[in-house]
Parts: sequence; C-alpha cells; structure tokens
Amino acid sequence: MKKILLVDDSSTILLSMSAILSKAGYEADKASSADEGLIKLKGGLKPDLLITDLNMPGMNGIEFIKEVRKLPDHRFMPILFLTTESQQSKRDEAKAAGASGWLVKPVNAEQLIGTIKLVVK
Amino acid sequence: MNIYNATAQKNMLLNALDGCQELDIDLSQVGEMDTAGFQILLLTKREALKAGKAVRLTGHSKAVTELIDLYNMASYFGDPMIIPAEERAAAKPGNGKSAG
Amino acid sequence: MDAIQQAFVVESRELLQMMEDNLLQMESSGGDAETINAIFRAAHTIKGGAGVIECKFIVEFTHVLENVLDEMRSGTIAPSPELIEVLLACSDQLDALVGCVESETEPGEEVGKASASLRERLQQFLGKPAAASRDVVVSEPAVHVSGGGEMDTDNWHLSLRFGRDVLRKGMDPASFLRYLMELGEIVNLVTLPDAMPDANEMDPESCYLGFEISYKSDAGKSRIESVFDFVRDDCVIHIWPPHSKLADFISSIETLPEDSMRLGEILIKCGALTQAELEQALNTQSDRVGSASTQPKIGDVLVKQGAVTPEVVEAAAVKQSKVAEKKTLESQLIRVQAAKLDQLIDLVGEMVIASAGANMLAHRSGEAALVESTSVISMLVEQIRDSALQLRMVQIGETFTRFQRVVRDTSHELGKDIELVISGSEAELDKSVVEKLGDPLMHLVRNALDHGIESPEERVAKGKPARGTLRLNAYHESGSIAIEIIDDGAGIDREKILAKGRERGLVAANQTLSDSEIYNLLFEPGFSTAEKITNISGRGVGLDVVKRGIIALRGSVEVESREGAGSTFRIRLPLTLAIIDGFLVGVGKAAYVIPLGTVVECIELTEKDRADTANRQYINLRGGVLPFVRLREQFEVAEPGGKRENIVVVQYGGQKIGLVVDELMGEFQTVIKPLGSIFKHIKGIGGSTILGSGEVALILDVQSLVTLATAQQNRAQTAEAIRV
Repeated sequence: MKKILLVDDSSTILLSMSAILSKAGYEADKASSADEGLIKLKGGLKPDLLITDLNMPGMNGIEFIKEVRKLPDHRFMPILFLTTESQQSKRDEAKAAGASGWLVKPVNAEQLIGTIKLVVK
Repeated sequence: MNIYNATAQKNMLLNALDGCQELDIDLSQVGEMDTAGFQILLLTKREALKAGKAVRLTGHSKAVTELIDLYNMASYFGDPMIIPAEERAAAKPGNGKSAG
Repeated sequence: MDAIQQAFVVESRELLQMMEDNLLQMESSGGDAETINAIFRAAHTIKGGAGVIECKFIVEFTHVLENVLDEMRSGTIAPSPELIEVLLACSDQLDALVGCVESETEPGEEVGKASASLRERLQQFLGKPAAASRDVVVSEPAVHVSGGGEMDTDNWHLSLRFGRDVLRKGMDPASFLRYLMELGEIVNLVTLPDAMPDANEMDPESCYLGFEISYKSDAGKSRIESVFDFVRDDCVIHIWPPHSKLADFISSIETLPEDSMRLGEILIKCGALTQAELEQALNTQSDRVGSASTQPKIGDVLVKQGAVTPEVVEAAAVKQSKVAEKKTLESQLIRVQAAKLDQLIDLVGEMVIASAGANMLAHRSGEAALVESTSVISMLVEQIRDSALQLRMVQIGETFTRFQRVVRDTSHELGKDIELVISGSEAELDKSVVEKLGDPLMHLVRNALDHGIESPEERVAKGKPARGTLRLNAYHESGSIAIEIIDDGAGIDREKILAKGRERGLVAANQTLSDSEIYNLLFEPGFSTAEKITNISGRGVGLDVVKRGIIALRGSVEVESREGAGSTFRIRLPLTLAIIDGFLVGVGKAAYVIPLGTVVECIELTEKDRADTANRQYINLRGGVLPFVRLREQFEVAEPGGKRENIVVVQYGGQKIGLVVDELMGEFQTVIKPLGSIFKHIKGIGGSTILGSGEVALILDVQSLVTLATAQQNRAQTAEAIRV
C-alpha cells in the first residue's frame, strides 16, 4: 500500500484528505505542522509522497520542503504542495525549494487521486 | 536501481566495464527500477558500444522489463528478455559480474 | 454533523479567537507583518475548510475578507482603526456563520443581511466593484500559420524533453507516461537518450531523456497539456493535435535540442510524419537546419555549481539543521481528544487505588521483598499520576486574553477608558477547571468594568489618571491557584453594603462585622448595590451566582477593597478536580481524608488541652487562638474515642483552624469520587474515595469547615464580649 504523509495546520483539510486517500486505497499519515512532519520523516517514516500546505504557523511550507530535501532518505521523494489559484509567485518559490507539483485548493477527490497517480512511482 | 543509489551503481558498472571486454549484468535481483536506474543501464550500454565491448543484460526482473518496455528500448539493448516464472521479492540492486 | 464538519467548527472557533486576539493587538500596538499574516492565515484556513465541507455562505463571505487581508499583507491597504473595526465585526459574523454550520441550519435573513453589508463595507476598502476577481487568465500562444499542408495522421503527437532536475524533484518521466496510458493509448514511442553526456560528465541524478510519442486519445488538448503542468516550466513540451499544420510542426521541432535530420527519422519511425512530408518540410526550412542544436553543456552547469566550495555548503547545512532541531523541540504539539485524556486519568485513578491496596496487603504480609517492590510500584504510579494530570494542565493566559475584547467593547459601550493588564499567564490549571472558570470570571470582569471603574471625568476629578486599569493576575498558592481581578476604581462602599445588609435582614441591627464579612455580603443571593441597572451587569444575576459556580469547583472567592483606590476579587481554585494528595485520619472506625495541601501541622492534644477544651472550641497555639472543630461531633460519630486525640492544623484562605481527630494515618493519594445526593446537605464533606482496603473514606471540605469554625469562634467571642 502506498503511503502518503499529509501536513497541514487545518484539521479539516487533514481529515477530509485522509478520508479521500483511504477510500482510494492509500495509507495516509497526518501531521499538523511542519515540525511534526519533520519529526516523523526523521523518525523513519518513508512515505511514497508528501503533501504539504504552504502557509502554516511555525515553520512554513517552503522552509519545510527545503528541510525535507536535505534528508538523505527523502531527497527524491515526490512532494506536492497545496496552493490557491492566486499564488503564482509562491508556486515558483515552492518549486525552487524542491517541490514536485501542486494541488489547487479546495481539492476534490478526482483531482487529488489523479495528481497522486502522476507523481507516485 | 533507483535515484538514491544511481551514483554508486554508475561507478560500479563503469568500473566493471573498464576491466573487461564482455560484461554480463544479472538483473534478477532488481526489485525496483526508476528512470535514474534505467539511465545507468543505458549509459553502460552506450559506453560499451563506443569502446567496442559487449554488455549483456540477463535475468531481467519484472521491474526492469516493465520500464524497458515502457521506454520501448528492448531492441536497443538487444538482449532476450525472459520473465522469470517466479519473481523474487528481494529488493537488492543487481550485481555486475565480469565474465571476460 | 459529520466528523469533518465537527473538526471544521472546532478549528474555526480557535482560528477566530486567534484572529480576534491579533486584531486587538493590531489595534493597540499596530500590526507587524507576522500579525497581519496570522490574521490572513486564519481567514484563509477557514475559507479552505469551508470549501471542503462545501459551505457556500462561509466561502463567499471569507472570499472578500481574504482579499482585503491579502492587500493588507502586501501593504496596499493600511490597517486603519475603521478597518480593524470592520474586521472585528467580520470575525463576529464568521463566528455566527460557523454557528450555523454547528446547528446545521442555513443562516437566517438577519445573518444573511449582516454578511452582505459587511462584504459591502470590505469592498469599499478594496475600492473595486464587487465583481472583481483575481483569476489568472492563461492566454494561448498565438499560432503562426506559414503555409504547408496538414499532417496525415489521426493521432496526437507529443514531443517531450524532460528537464535535468525532474528526477531530483521526486518525479519520474515513467509516471507521466503511465498516466498518459490511463488517458489514452500510446501508439508508438521513441526514447531519445541523445542528451546524455559522456560518462564522466553524466550526473546519475539528472534526467537526460526525451520522448517522441504518437498518441491516441479522446481527451482534449487542455486535458493532455494539464498532465505536464508540473514540469512545463523546466521541460520542452510540444503537443500537436491530429491533423496539425505541417509547417507549424516542423518549425516547432526545430527548437528541440536534437539535430533536425535525426529528429526527422525519429518522427517517421513513430508515425508522426511520412517520408514525403518530412522531405517537403526540410526543403522549405533548409536555411534554418542546424541552427537549433544549442543545448547547455551540463559540464558548465557543474562548474558553475562548483563555484561554492563543498566545505561552505556543508557548514551551512549543519548550522541550519541545528536551528531546525531546536525549533522542533520548542513548538511540537499533539492534538488529543479530551475524552481520551479523561479516560486515561480515570484509569490512572483506578490504578492509584489498586496500587494503594497492593501496598497495604504487602505491609500486612510483612514480606520485605514484597513491600520493597510494591513501594517501587507506588512511586511509579505516583509519577504516572502526576504526568497524566500534567497533560490536562493548560496555562490560564488564553482564558485571560479572551477578555481583551470584552474589556475593549464594554468600555466603549460605557464611555470609559480602561486598559486590561494581564500577569501570571503562565500559571497552569486543569483544563476542566479552566472551562468552568469562564462564566464566573466574565461576571467579575463585567462587574469591575461597570461598577468598579469610574468614568474618565470622575477619575480626573478625583485626581486619578483618566484611564482606568483592570488587572487579571494568577499565581499558585499551596496546591491551589489564585486568580485576581483587580480594578483601580472607586472601591466598595462599606457603609452602603452594611445598610443594605441590615435592610435585607442579613445583618442584625446590633451586629458588628469585620470588613471581610461585610464585603462577603456581596455574594449573598439577590444582593446588588448598583443604583442603575445597566445591560453590562446588575441584571439581578448577582455575585451569588459567581460564588456558587466557584464553590462547585471546590474553590472560594473573597474580596478586598479600599475605598477610592479599587477592589480585588480573589478566586482560589484547586489545580485539579480529579485526584488530590490526601492526609488520612481516623475518627472512631471511620476514615477521613484531608487535602494535603491544606494541612499545616499536626499536634497531639494533651490531657490538659482536652480538659481545658471540654467547653470551648479553641486552644492556645503558641500564644495564638486556634479555633477547632471536633470531627466526632461534626459528623456525629457514635463510637467513643480512644485515649488520645490529635489536632490537624489546616489553613484555607489565610485562616487556620484545627480539626480534632483520633488517629493520624498518614499521606494517601486520593481519587475523588462524587458524592451521592444523600450527602449533599452534610456540611464539611467534599467527596468520597475508596481506600486500598476497599473501604470508603470521606474527603473533608476544608473550606467550609474553616468558615464554620471561624463563625463559631466569632459568635463565641461576641458572646463573651457582651457578657463582660
């Protein structure tokens, strides 16, 4: 079973996305902050994909992606970030930090699963 | 063979090629192959062709066959691909064996 | 409400609170970038959540709000007082809308109107008509038609040259191809490894592959293009629909890195072109052949990257990871459902009892090894209990900051200028206590704002600063927490209260009362001295309600005042409601638990003391008078006592009294079980617990015993005084 780590400070988003993922046969792991996500990744969690929000209190998504790319075990893990229509500059910044792609909020199930298939190996 | 170990694989295969005229690469233990891994095979084959040496891929595992087929490159390598009756689950990278 | 909606409501409420705190901060001290960003983030997250639960009315409302906040973030709109006022109103409106989600109702007409008018007011700050939308319009590149026939094929043709960094960013061309296979059929595919440099220059983590694909699909162009959204910026991607113009096709493929002749062969091989088409195309474009093969040499890129020495990079990386680790330690929080914690505390409570039982049996058995091991277990259980209780502890600061808004709004309403000063925010207490503290605290704060602090004119006339100060303070004090509501207002008019007390028949005409007794009259039911009834406080719901609420939490409330200088209401509460450290005492066959935090000392009641005190309710303790209560009498224990009696000196709210008991049985961890209603009327009992032996022990309510004993003492003294 493919494992996906979700990082978002919004519990509503975490809950709804993990519901979609488990319905589609993925295993979802959740973290409510970048710090928590990093701890999980450093603690040996090896997801097939990371999905993270960008605008979070504490460490933001861009810093988080940069930190993840420094971890030897996760240097080449696909990373998708959550974004809104109006954030082209953020999108470029996140890609420069090492993100693979993005999902536009609010994410519907079809879009989410389609995008995951595109990046999960 | 994936991007995490591609650098090591590249060095190992090119070193093996350096020391021989004919190289057999047993791929039966390759549990995973991504495009980075594929490129290493491609590079090894190309370097061999340039130097007039022979590289033979044998015992393609399912992961290898799938990718070579997807990229439509079976004829470039020119090796017979036989899908083993029993896929071994071990996810170890293939060993370069010098046969010359 | 399903789980996701529930999560949304809880989360939104938290975010709104945060938003309000930040808005108030911005109002008082101007907003820095982080404050504005936090407000934006709150609105943004609420909007996102509302989108998930498909709550249209919140999405619509937050959309405009988010736009205004975004402009504030970028500095286009300045946070003026008027804007903050509107934003605060928006936060209230959102709270109402979230309430609709909670109650699963559509917003009523009034709420809907409020939403609309707030959106209009927000719109004015944006200075744009309501229809302004900020969608990015992607324009199709202009198509140059330069003659030539159509391609003779029913298939799409895709030219893909993946960027070098694709693999490093966690993607794989293979995944894209597989995804294409889900959308349609790959009729033919040629892999182009030409870009791969010499072995020593080839970077195993870079991608060098290109593909020419003949593709059959019913999907539209934008759908197929969207597959490559993520890589479009770094890759060269051309997609030609079936029957594209040949000339366009050829001119585009010239921008590809491979040599045109080789590409031509490949295109024929994968079926995009016929030999004739290719020849025609190459002839017309011959002057441009060869000019396009200008790909960057990867070697150059590597040399460029080499400009930074590896040592420098390494050092920077190490430093950054250290900073990150520290940050991680500081801010890691896990959200746990309160019910799960409650269950844990319940179980720990049972474990405490079971462990005490095991300990008692071990002692009885007299086996040293067993005693040893059970005492280790008890010690561990004690630590587990402390840690478990610690989990429920929250800082009081959050409760305090909620009053920022109350103080702001109420003082505006009353035409007063009042500043809220908070101290002791870090004092911790049990979450269940905090939750129940809100109402009494609200009442006391409003009381202070309304009746305590004077209008600016009055204050100036009295020589005080025009701006009044309300302080909320908290600190720990012997196993309990004290919370103070301090105002620098007019203070309490002692005589007025006394007169009112007499009028109400609460105080006998000839009775003299101490200051604190007089102030305590304020907490009697129906006792209000407010001359005018305002809608802030004084609506007949008196301070007696506050007192009852606090007593239900096993706490107490007292008041101090200096006329003209202000009043202090002080609430004392136990830190937790679940488990206490107790001191076990025996009276006859019954066992009682005294909360250890209240015990000051134990003294033996000597024969002489016993004789002396046969007819009075106090002893001399080191020259002072110590009133006491005989538990035997208080709880009507039938069996006669033994020869010895002891006094346990307890303290509550600054008052000391003695409790006369037979036997001192030592410290004991006590899990508080609520009392049945039968026992409710017995004064001096706060709860019950089960001893390790399985027997029930009653937990003493020290506060009420202290009140009882001091009242008796005062009566006795008054009686003596009259006699004299």
